[in-house]
Order: sequence, then structure tokens, then C-alpha cells
Amino acid sequence: MERKQILIKHSFWMKQQEDSPVVLSSRVRLARNLDMLPFPHALTQQEAKKIEKTIAEVLREIEVENENLAYLSLTELSTIEKQVLLEKHLISSSLIKAVGSQGVALAQDHRCAVMVNEEDHIRLQVLMPGDKLAETFRLANILDDALEDKLDFAYKEALGYLTACPTNVGTGMRASIMVHLPALAITNQVQQVLGALTHLGLAVRGIYGEGSQAHGHIFQVSNQITLGKSEEDIVVHLKAVSSQIMEHELQAREALRREANLSLEDKVWRARGTLQNAHLLTSDEAINLLSFDKMGTDMGILPKTKQKFAALLVDSHPGSLQYSLDRELSPSQRDEQRARLFREAMS
Amino acid sequence: MLCQHCQQREAKVRLIKTIKGQTEELNLCEPCSQKIHDFNIFIQPGIIVPDFLQALFGFMTQPEKSGIPQEESCPRCGVTFNQITRAGKLGCSVCYDKFEPQLESLLRRIHGGGQHVGKIPLRRGVALKNKLELRNLKEKLASLIQQEKFEEAAIIRDQIKQIDLK
Repeated sequence: MERKQILIKHSFWMKQQEDSPVVLSSRVRLARNLDMLPFPHALTQQEAKKIEKTIAEVLREIEVENENLAYLSLTELSTIEKQVLLEKHLISSSLIKAVGSQGVALAQDHRCAVMVNEEDHIRLQVLMPGDKLAETFRLANILDDALEDKLDFAYKEALGYLTACPTNVGTGMRASIMVHLPALAITNQVQQVLGALTHLGLAVRGIYGEGSQAHGHIFQVSNQITLGKSEEDIVVHLKAVSSQIMEHELQAREALRREANLSLEDKVWRARGTLQNAHLLTSDEAINLLSFDKMGTDMGILPKTKQKFAALLVDSHPGSLQYSLDRELSPSQRDEQRARLFREAMS
Repeated sequence: MLCQHCQQREAKVRLIKTIKGQTEELNLCEPCSQKIHDFNIFIQPGIIVPDFLQALFGFMTQPEKSGIPQEESCPRCGVTFNQITRAGKLGCSVCYDKFEPQLESLLRRIHGGGQHVGKIPLRRGVALKNKLELRNLKEKLASLIQQEKFEEAAIIRDQIKQIDLK
């Protein structure tokens, strides 16, 4: 398949889940390293190249649920192509910044993505739409078994899977959910609800990971502890927390409807109106309007649109916008094209 | 100069942060500088892992706290514990054996103690089990031969062969 075809499509996680208005997506990431070899940051260029080759060969060979993966070496990709992968959550910004031999293998619908030579030799992830942590973990486990069948992973009985950073040692697993919490944000309860999670061994981040801001009222919640807990426990724990968060958000939405219905309707209709009519939209403005538009749609105040939230969210980012048009755009040209995208999608 | 935050607009505001004597300069455009200023309503920034680790490692490597002289290096990758402290990362899987004493309390601080109770690799897990069994059988065989119990020794020898074939 051509590279453009692989990169341009909407990833599986971007599909709308009608039954899950709050939890947008579920992700499981496993960190693995080859035994006896230096971790990526300590490799010479030659060693890194050799390791990439070894892992890429295995990735091209294995099948995950009767499907092959497509391997992309990062050196072959343009800056915009890398940005598209980042915006779709298929690679991390650390992978782009790393110097050496990096790559990523993708399943056809992007539900599996395996990064090579990021912080660890292998970072595999499974990413699905909605509240599907258990299913996501099941597939990550299958992918891990397929890789382990061909590669010797660094592992110690007492410490589990060995990773470059000791914060990942043990299961090497980071399970996370991406949640949309506009009503908690409007009613100033985000800090209170999400702040409590840090006491439960969970981390809260913005939509694009560590240090990123909570654009569009979207947050990622993930486990911090990887040693001394089984993978199943991590999943069950996070799942319980995700139901709680969802409950709080839905309560806040009902409270808004009860206490401030007119302001609520005004807010979401204004968002829809601006998205349908604006001729210039910065990405910050777009993502915040889109967030209110989604809340209005999920609450049945606004009629549904043909294009869905996560797809629009990603498509309106700078990389994806430029890639779909096949040319570089200045920031103001992007604002114009972004407004055009929304006018068409929302009509 | 472009804004270091959005990389889109011209930087017009210079933000200088001094934390623990380390000065950091950030050149931002007006909208981004405002956003960073107004940020406190949304989310506490995640812990920056390397800094946090460095702090923990730093504490651990005070001479009186660490048992092993700091110039010792990993026999596999050559990394010293000092380098690990600075990078916040280990050099290779063998570092986990080499620097076990220092890492033990660090891991306790990060994860709250405990051993791995999660997944065991399928293929290597079997190999690990076989290796342990093989070692036990060989010890048994040696002792039986010493005791001149050759018939029993023959049975053990066959069992060893079986595992070797796997």
C-alpha cells in the first residue's frame, strides 16, 4: 500500500462511539527491550541501525489477527508526515526528536502501532475508540506474544520487563483513557475530580501527553505504577476510575441543563454557528468550539453532523490539514483552510 | 524569532524562569504567553519524569547513601551509576543486576515496593522454567553418582536429555 494511503486514513480510534460520549478512546502501551543490548539512548548509530533492522524484519513478518503490519522508517518520512502520525496518536514526539534509527509499524486501521527505538527498543500500543480497555489490553497481549515469539525480551523474574527508565519497569504497561469533560471544566470541577486521581496512583495529562495542555477539555488518565501490580489489575482499576469520571461529567451536564439551560444552549449553538460560518479559525479556537459542539450534540441540543468529533479534531491540526491538501501552508492560510474544513463538515 | 510554544507566531514576550538557580528562558507570542499565564484553571502539569528521577537518583547517590563506589561501571554497556543518575535512564538490561542495591530503594520510591506479579513471557518463560529444572536435576545427578546410586542416576540422566531436547 502506498504511504499516503496508510497515513491519510482516519484511524480506528477516531470512529465515533455513540454509546460512549465521555470516554473517547482507550489505549494500552507496552514497553519492551531486547535482552543484553544497550537501551536506545546508549546505542551507537550502527547498533541502533542494526536493532531497527532486526525488529523491523520481525514486524513485517508477524500477523496480528490475520493481518500484516506496514513498517515505516522515520528517516524516509517528511516532517509533515511525522506530524500527521503524531496528531493521530500513532507515534510520540520523543520518537520524532530521537536521533538514530527510528520507525513505526502500523496495522491497516491503525489500531496497533509499534514504535521502534523510542525510549525503549519497542513501544507497542493498541488504541481503540470508546470505553474498551479490556479489549484493548487483550489485543496488546496478542501483539506482544507475537513479538516475543521471535525476539528475546529483557526480563527478570523479580522485576519483570526491564525498561530504560525505571518508572516503566515491571509490566512495562501504561493503560490510558482519553476523556472529554466540558461540563466539569465549565463548572470548575476538573481540578477537584481529576486532582483526586493522583492520590490513586494515576496520572492526568492533556491530549498530547506529558506537559501538554487540556485543549478542548480533553484529558488523558493513565496508571503510574508498573511494578507490583498485574496488567489485569491495572485495567480493572482504571476502568473503575473511568466509570466514576464519566458519572461526574454526566452529572455536571445535567446540573448545567437544570440550572443554566439558556446559557448552555446559547454556548453550544454559538459554537455550532461559528464552526458553520467562520472564514478564519485558529486551532485553539477550533478545538474549543468543537468541544462545545460535541457536548451540545451528545446532549441532544444540536442536530448531528456528518463528520464526527475525533476525525475533525485530528483533521483540523496543522500537519493533517497540510497533508490532506498536499502543500505547505502559512499559519494564516491554515486558519482559512481550517475554517473551510469546518464549514463543509458542519453544513 | 518564532514563538517557542506554538511555533507559529512571532515571539514578543520573553519569559524568564529561575528554579533552583537554573535559569530558563522562553520566547513566546502574546496569545501563548497569556495562555501560560492563565493556565492555572485547567490542569496541574504532569510531573516531568527526568527531573523527578534525577532528584530521586541524586538523593540516592549521596556518598554515604550508596554502597558501591560511583566509578564502577556496567560490564555490558559500560555506563556508570553517575551517568545513569544524570540521564535518568539505565544503559541496558544488565545495569539492573549491576546496580541492584541502589535501584532497589529507588524502585520502592517510584512504585511503592513489591515484585513483578504480571505477565511472564511465553517462550522465554518456558525456557526460564526449563533452566531452573535442568539445574536442579544436574545437582541431583551429581549427588546420586557420588553415592554410587547408578540406577536412579540413569533415570535422572534421561530426564535431563528430555529437557535438552525441548
